[in-house]
Amino acid sequence: MKFITYAENLTQLKELSILVETNRIDRSELEVIIGNAFLSRYSENTIAGFEEMIVFNQKAKLQLVLEWDVLQQETLFQKNVELVSKLPLHEFKAVRVQDPGALNFIKEKFPWLKVQLIMENGNHNYAGLSRWSDFLGEQLDRLVLSNELSREHLGKYASDLKNDLEVLVFGRILLFYSPRLLLSPVNKESIQAEFEKNIEAYGTSEESPHAGFPLIENRHGTFMFNVKDLYLLDHLEELKSLKIAAVRFDLRFDDSFGHLENCIDLFKGRIAHSEIAEIKAEHPRPMIKGFYNINKTDVLFTKLKNKRIQRQDDNYIGEIVDVERDQQMALLIKSSHLNLKSGDEVQLITPEGKTKTLGLKSLTDTTGKLKESAAMNEVVLLPFISGVVAKTQVYLIQK
Amino acid sequence: MTNTVWTPELLSPAGSLEKLKVAVLYGADAVYLGGQKFGLRQASDNFTAQELREGVEFAHSRGSMVYVVLNSFLHDKDLEELPEFLSLLSELKVDAVIVSDLGVITEIQKHSNLVVHLSTQASCLNVESAKLWKKMGVTRIVLGREVTIKEAKKIKEETGLEIEMFVHGSMCMAFSGNCVISNYTQGRDSNRGGCAHSCRFEYSIDYKNNEEAKKAYFMSSKDLEGIRMLTEFIEAGIDSLKVEGRNKSHYYAATVSKVYSEALAYYKAHGNFLSDDLIRWEEELRKISHRDYTTGSLDTHADESSIYNQRESDDNEYVVTGVILEVKDQEHILLEVRSAFTAGDTLEIMPFSGVTINHTIDSVKSIANINVPKSKPGSVVKVPYIAGAERFNIIRRKINNVSAAV
Repeated sequence: MKFITYAENLTQLKELSILVETNRIDRSELEVIIGNAFLSRYSENTIAGFEEMIVFNQKAKLQLVLEWDVLQQETLFQKNVELVSKLPLHEFKAVRVQDPGALNFIKEKFPWLKVQLIMENGNHNYAGLSRWSDFLGEQLDRLVLSNELSREHLGKYASDLKNDLEVLVFGRILLFYSPRLLLSPVNKESIQAEFEKNIEAYGTSEESPHAGFPLIENRHGTFMFNVKDLYLLDHLEELKSLKIAAVRFDLRFDDSFGHLENCIDLFKGRIAHSEIAEIKAEHPRPMIKGFYNINKTDVLFTKLKNKRIQRQDDNYIGEIVDVERDQQMALLIKSSHLNLKSGDEVQLITPEGKTKTLGLKSLTDTTGKLKESAAMNEVVLLPFISGVVAKTQVYLIQK
Repeated sequence: MTNTVWTPELLSPAGSLEKLKVAVLYGADAVYLGGQKFGLRQASDNFTAQELREGVEFAHSRGSMVYVVLNSFLHDKDLEELPEFLSLLSELKVDAVIVSDLGVITEIQKHSNLVVHLSTQASCLNVESAKLWKKMGVTRIVLGREVTIKEAKKIKEETGLEIEMFVHGSMCMAFSGNCVISNYTQGRDSNRGGCAHSCRFEYSIDYKNNEEAKKAYFMSSKDLEGIRMLTEFIEAGIDSLKVEGRNKSHYYAATVSKVYSEALAYYKAHGNFLSDDLIRWEEELRKISHRDYTTGSLDTHADESSIYNQRESDDNEYVVTGVILEVKDQEHILLEVRSAFTAGDTLEIMPFSGVTINHTIDSVKSIANINVPKSKPGSVVKVPYIAGAERFNIIRRKINNVSAAV
């Protein structure tokens, strides 16, 4: 299993290099993601700073991965393509992209460059992951999976897919990515949108039970993160046994880079998880396992609407649209293939789920005239039945 | 011989079978709708199999196309149920399915010959991205709402794909498909239809170095209105103009379909727009419930003027009075009441085409012909026959005191 992390600047890259030189981690086990303010979502790195890191690494020989994870409208995409084309791409082990445009560009123009494909926005099924894998073939280095996948699915995909997989084990959970600048308009007087540094803030809504969503605004737009960060450091062995090829430690925020050595020692098995309890305890926000154990984010859907006011097919005849107590009920015929006839028997299912039956001795239209039958779009009057209300669904009882 | 100019397809939302009929009758060239699963509007009525059958028959018999959304980011277990639904869609001859997930596209291609449109949920934003999706077998791309018309034109020219863009309606503030707030805060998967609209909440924004947090609806977007951009859409050759809003009312479906179809028909016949007409159409679009309008990113990428920094409100100059259920020639109109009115009120009937019919109602009666002093929302009442009224026409009423009418 590989240890994946970020170096935001030369100082951090040097620290990582020292850890390799001092054999805290094998060179082959470590991959370092680097980026710059134009291609990476959160990086504040200038092009000069970025190039400095590449030059340093020519001697350090760490496995560098280029981060190009922004989403780009065509105009911006062309600018970034120009920038990427000028970079010394051969200095990188791989490029990491989410935008399908960036993926296609790399595939077409640089077929020798390995791709780490970010699948974190959706891609929650084997069919899709497998197709992405087939599409890239040998050029695919790794699929970076969504943190909405449970361990059950991680295990299945690691076993069934032919390519390597990566998951996040420590770091912020991105909830929202907008290309619009949303923070600077709120605090115009003190913010200059020059994009040299990220604007950072915390958002809290009285309409949500959660408080303190971390926010970042920069040239790429606005990002909102969960109020709780992801923590799977107690599952590293399990992920290894599931054959997950790489685990990512996102130490870019909240001075988390200070945990680097502990994370490496834990990864290497030199210390037990119980020995680094302070990481979680001292973290500025609560830490959670997210959907690692189970993802049940579809179970509430059945409660979003009342199924009883939906028509069930086969014998469906129409809907009660009006009830006048002790007088009559108006039935709108909605079925395109069934007519209602005098002498028919119908079943009525109310929105509360009560069931009533009614034999139709006669049918009357809205002018009071008797009718033998009624077809789609016609309104007929039925005798009043207690308990029936508008939106009651009516079904023909077939004899 | 009449010379006509090419115009794009108008694609309206159909949140239910009745709304489909309303949208088609009011001029939509195509409608998009969802079944009971696989779409992004779990709270919508959506369509049962029989409703879908009737909806397709109704639309096709009037020359309108039907596209079915399968644009959730489906999980493995969801995909297991998909083939049966695909068989139904194939049997019904729907015109296309709208999909965002490559796994879903793969299953569709494995089990059917359905035409695949890429959903805006996939956030296709550039030429190279469109080229990739073309390789995956999609024939049309619903571009991300962050793309300008000029960029869309380039994408069309360089890929040869059909291009669809949103012309009207609510907008996500995030790149579509890149917001999972509901997943983590409400336990509802926003990308499988459970979006809780947390972006519309008011937030206190606490800057690190600031003493006082500032309150703002900073993540809420104004609504898109593209009526003034139709010439640009047409000249760019954008194939389809989409209206957002499967969760919205019959009145919304009717008004937006009517306004944009009339505008496109006018351009088709004349090759231009008159400023008086544009003003009239804009006025109509202001009569439906909406947040402040913006052109979003249609012209240039959306800036801070596109943020709707205020509380949502239903205040409106017009209210929907009802939908016509039945017209008995020379006798009466049966009206499904949506907001209260009384005898003496002047109602506006929106015909499927042409100008509204204003009519002062002499009487309001129950179905049993008993005078009703004030109609109740949710009830059905009889009003005297009005020439020109048809089943599914929407009736509205101007209100003087906006807040008092809600």
